[in-house]
Amino acid sequence: MIKRHSTSFALVLAGLAYFVPTVAGGAPAAYTACTTIAILAVMSYGADLILSYLGEVSLGHTVFWAAGGYAAALLSVNYGWNGWATAGGAIVVAIILACLLGLATLRTREFVFSLVTYAAAVVAMEIAFNWSYLGGSDGIVGVPPLDLPLFGWNLGGGTNDELWPIAWLLLMITLLFIHRFRRSRLGVSALMVHMNPDLATALGVDARRVRLAVFVTSAPISALAGWLYAYQRAYVGTDMFESYFLVLMLTAIVIVGRRMILGPLVGTALIIVQQNFFSIGGDGDKIVLGAVLAAILLLWPKGLVGVWDLLASRRAQAPRHST
Amino acid sequence: MNLAQQLINGLVLGSGYALIAIGWTVLLGAARLVNFAHGQLYMLGAFVAWAIMQKLGFSYYLAVPLAVLTVGLLGVLLQVMMLPLVMQQNLTSLMIVTLGFGYVFTGGASKIFGGDPQAFVSPLTAASIRFGDVWFTWADVVTLVGTLILFAVLWLVLNRTRTGAIVRSVAEDPKLAQLFGINAALVYIGVFVFECAAVALGAGLVAPRSPILTSMGFDEVILTFVIVVLGGIGSVGGSLLAGFGLGMFTALFGALVSPAHTTAAAFFVLLAVLVLRPGGLAAK
Repeated sequence: MIKRHSTSFALVLAGLAYFVPTVAGGAPAAYTACTTIAILAVMSYGADLILSYLGEVSLGHTVFWAAGGYAAALLSVNYGWNGWATAGGAIVVAIILACLLGLATLRTREFVFSLVTYAAAVVAMEIAFNWSYLGGSDGIVGVPPLDLPLFGWNLGGGTNDELWPIAWLLLMITLLFIHRFRRSRLGVSALMVHMNPDLATALGVDARRVRLAVFVTSAPISALAGWLYAYQRAYVGTDMFESYFLVLMLTAIVIVGRRMILGPLVGTALIIVQQNFFSIGGDGDKIVLGAVLAAILLLWPKGLVGVWDLLASRRAQAPRHST
Repeated sequence: MNLAQQLINGLVLGSGYALIAIGWTVLLGAARLVNFAHGQLYMLGAFVAWAIMQKLGFSYYLAVPLAVLTVGLLGVLLQVMMLPLVMQQNLTSLMIVTLGFGYVFTGGASKIFGGDPQAFVSPLTAASIRFGDVWFTWADVVTLVGTLILFAVLWLVLNRTRTGAIVRSVAEDPKLAQLFGINAALVYIGVFVFECAAVALGAGLVAPRSPILTSMGFDEVILTFVIVVLGGIGSVGGSLLAGFGLGMFTALFGALVSPAHTTAAAFFVLLAVLVLRPGGLAAK
């Protein structure tokens, strides 16, 4: 009963989400903001899988994000592939990179894992910067409009209002995927390995295998976000490796609270609305983003949901005190 | 290639790496903490010293100690804010918090100091010494000798004094140390301040080699990390050796293969070590 209701509620919410840019005025700025939020939220969900369910901090998801973008740009500009093919390319590249990085870090945990993934991102950026095949320091310019032929229709486009349906669809598929993941065998094992490693071992769960599987599963999510980002900007460059995206992912995840299915989406929306409509300059926005990230974890480690719980429990206690 | 010159370069580079890494080695060894703002603290050390020279007209010899003091005080502030998480040993949150701090420093420094590259000039860099076909500067000599002295003093303090014993006891078992009346919070603050001050000193000696930018700091974190892992986590002597090893590797790789890819190459060495010997080269 409840389950059926929550399913239809989710469908209605998803349908309503599609009309957010229209309701917000339908101006190009609204479409740009919504498309950007959807893309960056999908990117964050990739890292969310690691942080929320494995309890590790991957600082290397900008590699997968950038790999998706570079795959889209390279394959469409140099080889003329259409959107479906470049998306496939982005997924394959992300899985290969995740397998390599995942195997190399198989025996590492906690800060060693974080540092190796962080180092991987810095090194990947240097490689992209110095390798002319990847456009070097100039990046790859002139990415064509997204071309997604489907039964004679073309779903894609080049402007933000044309890309919004794709971004929305990608976000919905990602949310569905995360929802399924949480109930899947892998998702449950991951949480068990994170929360109670002894129990996991006792039940015959191979922790290393689970961690590798989750890591490899998470990579294509961020990569597909990067894939769409390449079409949105019609350009990819080494700036996709910048710590801005890394800090954004982590902030988006922790701001609302870990293991909340809508958490990264709401977090991303808050950040992008601040940066697009209430910006205090590039450097000022950096200070805001970094400070929010640090402050949330220092003051309310459970995120805004923790604040909500705190207020709710106070309200629940208040009548008892008054009587 | 002039081998003697490259070996000198390797020695000088290595001592700089070891100096930048020493704070982290101690932080990790004594407090089991990591600080992802390490690279940004390096950047701040260089920019504060530069600003003191430019705006106040102080000499380099006064600016560097003042920058070390400033960054050290910043360390007190940061560690006091992080103390609840530190006492819980909540490593995951601490890593992310320091990453956030680093991002704030990048934005703040670029707002205060501007986004342009600046020349942070040390008078020691200008004075060079030449023996036949090898040459080096006084700055190189000071970095090398200073690093060796700092490592020696640090080793003595950690292993031969009561302060060192207290730090080691907190590293071993913070709860037990507290039962013996040791103020673990104070030890954590002290160790963190040492890390901040040491990286600022490293910046004061090493950063004048090239123009400084508020966006720098990433390479320093990677190199520090490589040294800490190769040297064995928390080992003071190991990190000195790893620093020199990495310096030699960088000098020779840069001369023989390509200077643009040295960080990448160092990283692949690290990956190989992690796969083959997860405990680091020093592990038995």
